[in-house]
Amino acid sequence: MDIRVPRLAEGVESATVANILVSEGGKIEKDQVILELETEKAVGPIPSPASGRVTKIHVKEGDEVAIGQVLISLAEEGAREQAPKEKRDQLGKAETGVPAPQEPARATEEPLAGEYRYESRSGFPPPASPSVRKIAQDLAIDLTRVKGSERGGRITLEDLKAYIQHLQQLAYAPKAAAEKAEKAVAKGVDFSRWGSIQKERLSSLRRKVGQRMYDSWSTIPHITQLDEADITELMSLRKKYGPPFEKKGAHLTLMPFALKAVAAVLKKYPIFNSSLDEAAGEIVYKEYFHIGIAVDTEAGLIVPVLRDVDRKGLLDLAVELNELVEKTRQRKISLEELQGGTFTISNQGGIGGGHFTPIINKPEAAILGLGRGALRPMVKKGKVESRLMLPLCLSYDHRLIDGAAAVRFMNELVQALENFPEKALKG
Amino acid sequence: METLTTEIMVLGGGPGGYAAAFYAADKGRKVILVDRAERLGGVCLNFGCIPSKALLHATKLIREANESSARGVSFGAPKINLEKLRAWKDSVLEKLGQGLSGLSQKRGVELLRGRGYFEDSRTLRVETKEGQRFISYEKAIIAVGSRPAMPPAFDLGNPRVMTSTEALEIEEIPKNLLVVGGGYIGMELGTVYAALGSEVVLTEALSSILLGVDSDLIRPVMRFAEKAFKEVRLNAKVVKMATSGKQIKVILTVNGEQREEIYDRVLVSVGRAPNCKDLGLENTKVTLDERGFIQVNGQRRTSDPAVYAIGDIVGGALLAHKASKEARIAVEAISGESSSFKDVIIPAVVFTDPEVAWCGLTEAEAKEKGISVQVARFPWAASGRAMTLDRTDGLTKLIIDPQTERILGVGIVGAGAGELISEGVLAVQMGATAKDVADSVHPHPTLSETLMECAEVFYGYSTHTLARKKG
Repeated sequence: MDIRVPRLAEGVESATVANILVSEGGKIEKDQVILELETEKAVGPIPSPASGRVTKIHVKEGDEVAIGQVLISLAEEGAREQAPKEKRDQLGKAETGVPAPQEPARATEEPLAGEYRYESRSGFPPPASPSVRKIAQDLAIDLTRVKGSERGGRITLEDLKAYIQHLQQLAYAPKAAAEKAEKAVAKGVDFSRWGSIQKERLSSLRRKVGQRMYDSWSTIPHITQLDEADITELMSLRKKYGPPFEKKGAHLTLMPFALKAVAAVLKKYPIFNSSLDEAAGEIVYKEYFHIGIAVDTEAGLIVPVLRDVDRKGLLDLAVELNELVEKTRQRKISLEELQGGTFTISNQGGIGGGHFTPIINKPEAAILGLGRGALRPMVKKGKVESRLMLPLCLSYDHRLIDGAAAVRFMNELVQALENFPEKALKG
Repeated sequence: METLTTEIMVLGGGPGGYAAAFYAADKGRKVILVDRAERLGGVCLNFGCIPSKALLHATKLIREANESSARGVSFGAPKINLEKLRAWKDSVLEKLGQGLSGLSQKRGVELLRGRGYFEDSRTLRVETKEGQRFISYEKAIIAVGSRPAMPPAFDLGNPRVMTSTEALEIEEIPKNLLVVGGGYIGMELGTVYAALGSEVVLTEALSSILLGVDSDLIRPVMRFAEKAFKEVRLNAKVVKMATSGKQIKVILTVNGEQREEIYDRVLVSVGRAPNCKDLGLENTKVTLDERGFIQVNGQRRTSDPAVYAIGDIVGGALLAHKASKEARIAVEAISGESSSFKDVIIPAVVFTDPEVAWCGLTEAEAKEKGISVQVARFPWAASGRAMTLDRTDGLTKLIIDPQTERILGVGIVGAGAGELISEGVLAVQMGATAKDVADSVHPHPTLSETLMECAEVFYGYSTHTLARKKG
């Protein structure tokens, strides 16, 4: 049987193969994870629907795959072992009943124009047959730029064809070519000239985060409004209700309070819960309040979404939040759980930090950054008092939101945090 | 007399020239081939490769018959009929020469016999028996080759001082023969004369015979020569020669010590010189290098856009098959193709006993150029086939890039090495790895197995030797 790319999530048509966890010829069990697909910011495991032996892997890591595309061919348990047709032809009739020898996996990387260079320690040209060499010469192709797929890097006619096709694609995609060229320039600096260095390959998640950050930062005019909220009272509430919450299996942190307060303010200022549809020239107001939470994982930044925050009690929020963060850290989060956010909170308080300027999670309109609460001398009713002050940083899309609106939003939020109603904790 | 016109004029009928003329004709070009000799084939067919191999074959039998008695098969002493031997050799040359004429005729290549002289870049004057002819051409390919070098100090005008050309005529079997120069010609012809019964003394000015060849490949040849020749003198320099009655007086220094010796005949084999003189090259834009070879680019075009040159006349390896390959490149270049001599692997064979053959990178060259390589060796003492031939005096070696395991060079010494090297050429030219050769099944029992087993030695699992694991 063939295992195909399943429906991943609403609106997701394709994914990138992040990890292949099985090898050709290997036996696998039903529900064993065969590979991981990456979309947007999530890596989703693809379990095998049956037990059997992997006869062929049709994709390689880094491949873009679409729904329905064949990932892996499986010889199901009990079914007769069958060598792929062309292999049978090659081996002839003598091989009946003998498992086909495994084909070694092909080189995983595509030859990339402008990046690959054959390095000759011996002074010999890149290995290729005279006929391939002649064709390359006739076409004025520099073989040192063609990556060979055969033993010892020998270049076949197929490799040459693939390279030429790649060049052609580049030629017809001038923008991509320009970007490649830019990258090549950046790559040109040899840092090892000034001391020892270490290199690490960019993970696909890192690349994705980078692309999104760059896109958001370079296309949205950001303003960051800074303020502080006195959370002395809030923290005493937390202290008071911490133990009973704990008994119900919920760890009460600042975040459920912040979620609740933000949801309330968003309701009052819907522009902060909107998105700009540039193509249609419309502002899309969302009547639901799904708040994304920036989670720092080993692999990098992932933002799962907590749904309908306005309709949930503090206890539910606390429980759900813990689950969501845990799932995200273990990268077991589903794609659905990463989509549909209307606003994002990035809380650095757990680590430390004061004010910062968060980048908006496109296509949302704003993001709230939280620093770490710190004791400050504050004047209250003419007297200096020690108060716990929480740094608040609100970045917003200035195309949608004016400064005045941001100040109002911030004032409201500060109020909501400073005067958090105790009854909300009594559930 | 009217001027002949043609697209391509090839000057010189050796393995470079006739190959160029035939190939051009096969590509539908109008070709005139000019050669001064009666018989096509150049030095290769008439005074080089072919006659020397014919003689080596005939004389090899003498040695084999000799050694056969140890294997229980004895023959009487050989009787040598020099005239018959020469006639057989000449018959081989005649057959080949006629073959070439026939091939030339069938292709419609016009043959013009006579000495050629460039009047200008586009005109060649030919001195034929019937008088002067002029050829007006679009492109010329010069393939006039080389001749044995004869230093003035040795040029006595005495037929007893021979070059390879005369030596191949074997007018007589001298009682003693001095071979000056331990290159491949000296070694091969020394072997012929020694087998025919001459006492051969070979002198080489440098520290080794077959200079440039890896020393482990030379060793078995040196061992043979020391046995077959009366003496092999290294670091010995011939200073002067003089006619002394029916003999030649030779003054030489051996390890700095001067000696005077008398020989019946002397063979001077100290290299070859390009045939650039009296060609009228000064009437073209062709330029020569400091050693007198014609300067060409990768397409074998000279500094004159209408003139190409191939073979010995352009220097490099002075080998027939190099000339033939260059012939293809030049004709393709003239036809507008982008062929180039770049990255062409030219094998070399020395037909000594045992033969030495190599291609690609040599171990010595790798060392000299600081190229990091790993060398795998398979001694023929471990080859069953070599044992049945009673010829375990051989060695097969592979020069391998340790990073990619690509075979960069192959060296073979042993009986039939000249035939075996072609697999090495294919491997190097195709960019094969040692694994490719190790994985290709070779028939048993053959000497070709030594190539496969040598590749296996690289991986540490050769069946018939205990090879060290690949480090």
